[in-house]
Amino acid sequence: MSDIRLVNLTKTYGEGNAVSEINLNIGEGEFFSLLGPSGCGKSTTLRMVAGFIKPSSGRILIGSDDVTGLPPEKRDIGIVFQNYAIFPHMNVAENIAFGLKLRKRGREEIARRVTEALKQVGLAGYGERYQRQLSGGEQQRVALARVLVTEPRILLLDEPLSALDKGLREEMKFWIKDLQKKLGITTVYVTHDQDEALTMSDRIGVMQKSRIIQIGTPQEIYERPKTLFVTSFIGHSNILDVTVRGRHGDDVTVDLAGRELRARAADGVAPGGAAKLVVRPENVLLGGAVGERDMRLDATVLSETYQGAIVRYRLQVGAQEIVAERQNQAHVERFAPGTVVTIGWDPEWSEALVA
Amino acid sequence: MRDESPIPLVFKVVAGLALLVLLLPLAIVVLAGLNAGDYLTFPPQGLSLRWVKAFLSSPVFLSAYFYSFLLALAATAISTVIGTLAALYLARSGSRAAAFLRGYFMLPIVLPGVVLGLSLYVFFTTTDIGLARTFTGLLICHVLVTSPFVIATVTASLVGFDVSLEEAARSLGASPWTAFRKVTLRIIAPGISAGCIFAFIVSFGQFETTLFLSVPNREPLPMAMYISLRYKFEPTAAAAGIFAIALVVISTIITSRLVSLRRVFRA
Repeated sequence: MSDIRLVNLTKTYGEGNAVSEINLNIGEGEFFSLLGPSGCGKSTTLRMVAGFIKPSSGRILIGSDDVTGLPPEKRDIGIVFQNYAIFPHMNVAENIAFGLKLRKRGREEIARRVTEALKQVGLAGYGERYQRQLSGGEQQRVALARVLVTEPRILLLDEPLSALDKGLREEMKFWIKDLQKKLGITTVYVTHDQDEALTMSDRIGVMQKSRIIQIGTPQEIYERPKTLFVTSFIGHSNILDVTVRGRHGDDVTVDLAGRELRARAADGVAPGGAAKLVVRPENVLLGGAVGERDMRLDATVLSETYQGAIVRYRLQVGAQEIVAERQNQAHVERFAPGTVVTIGWDPEWSEALVA
Repeated sequence: MRDESPIPLVFKVVAGLALLVLLLPLAIVVLAGLNAGDYLTFPPQGLSLRWVKAFLSSPVFLSAYFYSFLLALAATAISTVIGTLAALYLARSGSRAAAFLRGYFMLPIVLPGVVLGLSLYVFFTTTDIGLARTFTGLLICHVLVTSPFVIATVTASLVGFDVSLEEAARSLGASPWTAFRKVTLRIIAPGISAGCIFAFIVSFGQFETTLFLSVPNREPLPMAMYISLRYKFEPTAAAAGIFAIALVVISTIITSRLVSLRRVFRA
C-alpha cells in the first residue's frame, strides 16, 4: 500500500498537450477517480502512472520511490484494462499464476495463492476454464484476481466496467468498491461515467482538455461544481443567464428576470457582469414545498412529465426555462400545464458560475 | 426432411471442378513416375518402381533433392525470423515509413521471378561482392522470395492482437522479452508456422530465380528436373516429383500438427 504523487506531470504529442501539469496527491488506501470525456487525458495519465507512456516532463512517485524512469515491470503496480486482457492461451489458474511465476514463487505457494485469489473474487473452481468460456463479468474478476495475487502497491483501473451490460455494471460497481475497501489498496480509477465515479470514489478529479479542473469528494463535485463544464458533465442542471448585482464574500446577489436572488458564488464571479446560475432540478421546489427562507419566483408550467418515481416539470421564468424534478411521493401536489406556480430553492443550493 | 444446404449446387460443381484441375496434374506426375516404360508418357505403360529406384540411386537427383531440402530449410529459418520481426514492426508502427515498407516488402513476390533473378545476378556480378552463383547468393534470393509469405501470414495473425495483453504481462512483472515470448509469440504462433510452411514450399519449388543464381554443378531439385527433361525425357524426373510432393505434404502435416492450422484461418 502506498500513496501516489504526481508532480507537474505533462505529456505532449506533436503540438498539443495530452496531459498538462497535473499535480495530484492520492492518499494511502484512497479510491481516486479520474473523470472526464474521451480525449481529456485521463487514460494517458493512468498509462503514465502504469509506465506504458513516458511523460514529457514531471514526476511520478509511488510511496517514497520516484518511478518516473522505471519500466512497468519494475513499478509493482496492478492494472485492469477495459477489455480485461485475459491471456487466451492460458487457463484461469495459469493467468492468475503468471505474476507469481515471474516472481519465482514455489509451486505449492503458487497453487495455494491461486486458489485463495479465486475464492476472493468468487470464482472458486474456475481454474481450468479458458477466457472464451467466461462471461464479461467473470473475465473482469479473473483480471482483478490476477493483479491482486501479486500484492501490488497500487491498483489502476482503466474503464473496467464500460464493456459490461447495465445490470452487471451496477453489481460490479459495489463489488469492486467493497473489495478495494477490504484490501485498503490505493486505487486510481479512470472513467467517463459520472455514476461510477460518484458511487465508488473517495475523491474525484474532473478532467477537461488535458487538465484536472476540480478535485473533491463526490459530494463536493456534485453540489459545489467550480465551472460550468463540471456542472454539465456531472448530472443535469438548470443553467440560467443572470446579471451579478453584488458580491459579499462567498455570496452574490443576481438578477434573474427582474428578481433579485441570493446564491453561492464561485471564484471569478464579479458584480456588474453576466454569470450563470446553476440549480439542480431536484432542488427546484414547487408550490407549498417552497420554504420561508427560499428564493421565490413565479413561473408558468409548460409541461408535466410522469416518469414513475419522478415527476418532471418544464417551467418558464421570463424568457428562460427551468426544469424541476419531484419525488412522486404520496399526497404530492401536481401542477397542470398553463398554471402559474410559485417556485423556489435554498440559496445554499444554487451556484453562480463564470459564464 | 433434409436441411436446405446453404451452398448452391452451382458453387459445389465449380469448386469440384477446380479441385479436379488442381489434383489431376499431381496424379499424372505420380502415375508417370510409376511408369514401367522407357519414356515419360501418359497414360503409363504399366506400373513399376523402376524409376523410383532410378531416382534413389541417381547421385545427381539425390544430391539435388537434399541440396534443395537444406536450402529450403535455411531460407525458411532465416525468413521466419526476419518476416516475423518485419510483421511486428508493420503492425505496431503507425509511421508513414511502415505504410511504404508494407508494399516494399511484398515486391519480391510481385515482381516476375525472372526479373528478380536476373537483377540479383547482374547486381552480384557487376558489384563483384563474391555472391554470384554461390550458395550464399542463392540463399539471399530465396530469403527475399520467401519472407513476404511469412510477413503476410504473421501480419494476418497480428490483426486483432490486443496489445494490452502484452501490457498486462509487463505490469505483472515481465520484461519486454519475457512478455513477448510468453504471450505474443504464443498467440501468433499459428501465423508463424503457416508462414514457415509457405516459405519452405516456395523455396523448395523456386525455379525462375534459381535459374540465374544456382551454383554450377550444384543444382537444386527443380533445376535438376528441368535439365533432365531437356536432355533425356526420362521418368526419373517424375519420380523425383513424387518425392518432392511427399516432402511438402509431410512437412505441412508436421507443422500443422505442431500448431493447429485451423486457428490461423479462424483468426
